[in-house]
Amino acid sequence: MAFYDGVFDALGLREWCDGTSAEGPMTMEQLLAQARGEESTAVETELVPFPSLDNLHAACGEIPRTREMTSGVENLFLSVKDGLKLVLDPLTQPLSWMLEGTLYVFTAAPWWLVIPVLLWLTWYVSRSRGVTVFVAFSFFFLAFIDHYDAAIQTLAIIFVCTGLCVLFGVPVGILMSKNNTVQRMIIPVLDLLQTLPSFVYLIPLIFLFSVTEPKLYGIAIILYAIVPVIRLTDLGIRLVDKDVIEAANAFGMSGRQKLFGVEIPLALPNIMAGVNQTIMMSLAMVVIASLVSAPGLGVLVLRGIRNLELGVGLVAGLGIVLLAVILDRASKAALARVNAIHETH
Amino acid sequence: MTELPKVRIRGLYKIFGETPEAMMPHVLAGMTKAELLAGHNHVLGLQDINVDIQPGEITVVMGLSGSGKSTLIRHLNRLIEPTVGEILLDGEDIMGLSQDELCRMRQTKMSMVFQKFALLPHRTVLQNAAMALEIRGTSLLPHKTVLENAMLVLKVSGHCGPESEAEARKWLARVGLEGFEDKYPHQLSGGMQQRVGIARALTSNSDIMLMDEAFSALDPLIRTDMQDLLLELQVELKKTIVFITHDLDEALKLADHLVILKDGAIVQQGEPQQILLNPADPYIEDFVSDINRARVLRVRSIMDNEITQNDFAQDLDAEDTLESVIAISGGDTRQSYRVLKDGQPVGQLDMKDLVKALVPRAASGERPVV
Ligand SMILES: Nc1ncnc2c1ncn2[C@@H]1O[C@H](COP(=O)(O)OP(=O)(O)OP(=O)(O)O)[C@@H](O)[C@H]1O
Ligand SMILES: [Mg+2]
Repeated sequence: MAFYDGVFDALGLREWCDGTSAEGPMTMEQLLAQARGEESTAVETELVPFPSLDNLHAACGEIPRTREMTSGVENLFLSVKDGLKLVLDPLTQPLSWMLEGTLYVFTAAPWWLVIPVLLWLTWYVSRSRGVTVFVAFSFFFLAFIDHYDAAIQTLAIIFVCTGLCVLFGVPVGILMSKNNTVQRMIIPVLDLLQTLPSFVYLIPLIFLFSVTEPKLYGIAIILYAIVPVIRLTDLGIRLVDKDVIEAANAFGMSGRQKLFGVEIPLALPNIMAGVNQTIMMSLAMVVIASLVSAPGLGVLVLRGIRNLELGVGLVAGLGIVLLAVILDRASKAALARVNAIHETH
Repeated sequence: MTELPKVRIRGLYKIFGETPEAMMPHVLAGMTKAELLAGHNHVLGLQDINVDIQPGEITVVMGLSGSGKSTLIRHLNRLIEPTVGEILLDGEDIMGLSQDELCRMRQTKMSMVFQKFALLPHRTVLQNAAMALEIRGTSLLPHKTVLENAMLVLKVSGHCGPESEAEARKWLARVGLEGFEDKYPHQLSGGMQQRVGIARALTSNSDIMLMDEAFSALDPLIRTDMQDLLLELQVELKKTIVFITHDLDEALKLADHLVILKDGAIVQQGEPQQILLNPADPYIEDFVSDINRARVLRVRSIMDNEITQNDFAQDLDAEDTLESVIAISGGDTRQSYRVLKDGQPVGQLDMKDLVKALVPRAASGERPVV
């Protein structure tokens, strides 16, 4: 005898309710219990249960259960999946190639070539001796403890994903700064991307692409990490001194001349701050992405968790911290260099 | 002044707000700025402005804060679009220009100097000064090939070509900034930054220079220096300058033609000495009452144009200030002087008239014709 039987009787809906009495999927309660690994118990604990779908279903067979709704979502997704895949697959294929290619180059090249190139790159962007020495030390340490391969794979993924974030994020940010309607439309999307728990990204992606394809984690990382570079490009361009823009107009600059000659250079400190955050967020995501076969240090962390190999997990975690610190320091040093040029008064 | 005006402003109105056109009937019916704001939430920026800007002269627009000076000067290069009215540049209405033509007009015919300097902070002094020429050099041009235009797109980096660099160096030296070419704007003082601003405007080699409170952010001594520099350059270059200020001393020092704005309307315009001697309304009287008239007024403005006697203590020049005449007379009010202009006698000056002119006259019933 379900609690809400009386309600349906009083409304005269009893006949409609009992029309069909097919067995549905299990209730949410059973699902959760199963997830906890318990036997499902059908004991009604509450005096007045909330009139939820499951509870109403108990009283009236015609009312769908919550699980029927979730499988509805699933079916909806599956029905558009093929069409979506047809469009997205070729579009995102280059990402797979880029990731595979970069991973191949980074891992195939000998360490005595890769490390000097990375050090030169650090010196080039940061022009800071301290940062370069620190990076050198970190790499030799990682190589010494045999984590070089994993670290370099992680780095390769981050390079590709950050590069693409900048490539797509900066133009989107510029578009937003130029047009208030575009800004109003994109901001909710950015909010969504930023608040969505990182695991949730993976769910639709797993359905769309096969887990063995690198683009799967590539997309997840890019979607997660692109937000700050878009936001800060938009902000940076909006914050460019109105007086300077007016001067540019008064001397007859065209839109293109203003964008490349004034707005982007003056927004550069903000854009660089966005890039710094983007790098940090890619690094955070690359660990989660190892759930879907992203190679690198994340795999070792995951192994530590799965097999309770404490040492493996912790040392790999330390390696990630080290990568985070060197990426942060190098990009902050580059930012400081840009700021020094733009410093006013 | 029989020359054609360089710029004519005819029946210019500017209303800020959602539906400026719909407000025009109210304004034409005589609604004031305050009423329009209270009743319809629109700001009356400018009303019925008619000014002729003569070539080679300094036209000074003066008014209190919020009187519409910046709004007015920004109409001349269409940084602000008028609600109603026409602006004729060399007889041609600039409202008819397409976006490209407008850009070209701003590049070649007008340059601007700003109150807050508005230099590009990421470019050196030299690159800033060469800005106008660089813009011209990197503008896409319809008569060039696609390839040439594509090359230009890549050339916006701010590196000066040799000719524009030479030109920029020349004007930087002219405003006294030799040796500072490779500094960045933030490494210079305010006065020096504004010199860069002036050099930038001069390098563009345009006939018209618009200066919006160009010296207001500078301290008094530097400001006097800059005014002198401007007058000195003007003797040589004969540009058409529109200068905005809220400072009467500055206006009187620089102006060939003075326009006084109040609440978006012109209260009086004309030769500055005449405005000083014949203020058209109490607002202007207030304005001019604090002025050191002896230092500003010149003999030509108060002299008697007919020579009725021949017993003169001394000869004066028409451009002498009253202050210098008082010094010459030693305070003796019984003297009379003969006034010469370019060595020719043009009138006489009685010391009694001079003393009377030193006292501000209340605007009388009869309006002086200006
Ligand atoms: N974009 C705008 N929208 C609405 N009102 C405006 C706008 N620009 C100017 N105004 C109004 O127009 C009037 C004139 O402004 P303007 O800036 O021309 O004054 P100003 O004489 O240059 O003053 P200041 O000496 O302070 O620079 C002011 O009342 C101002 O509030
Ligand atoms: Mg102003």
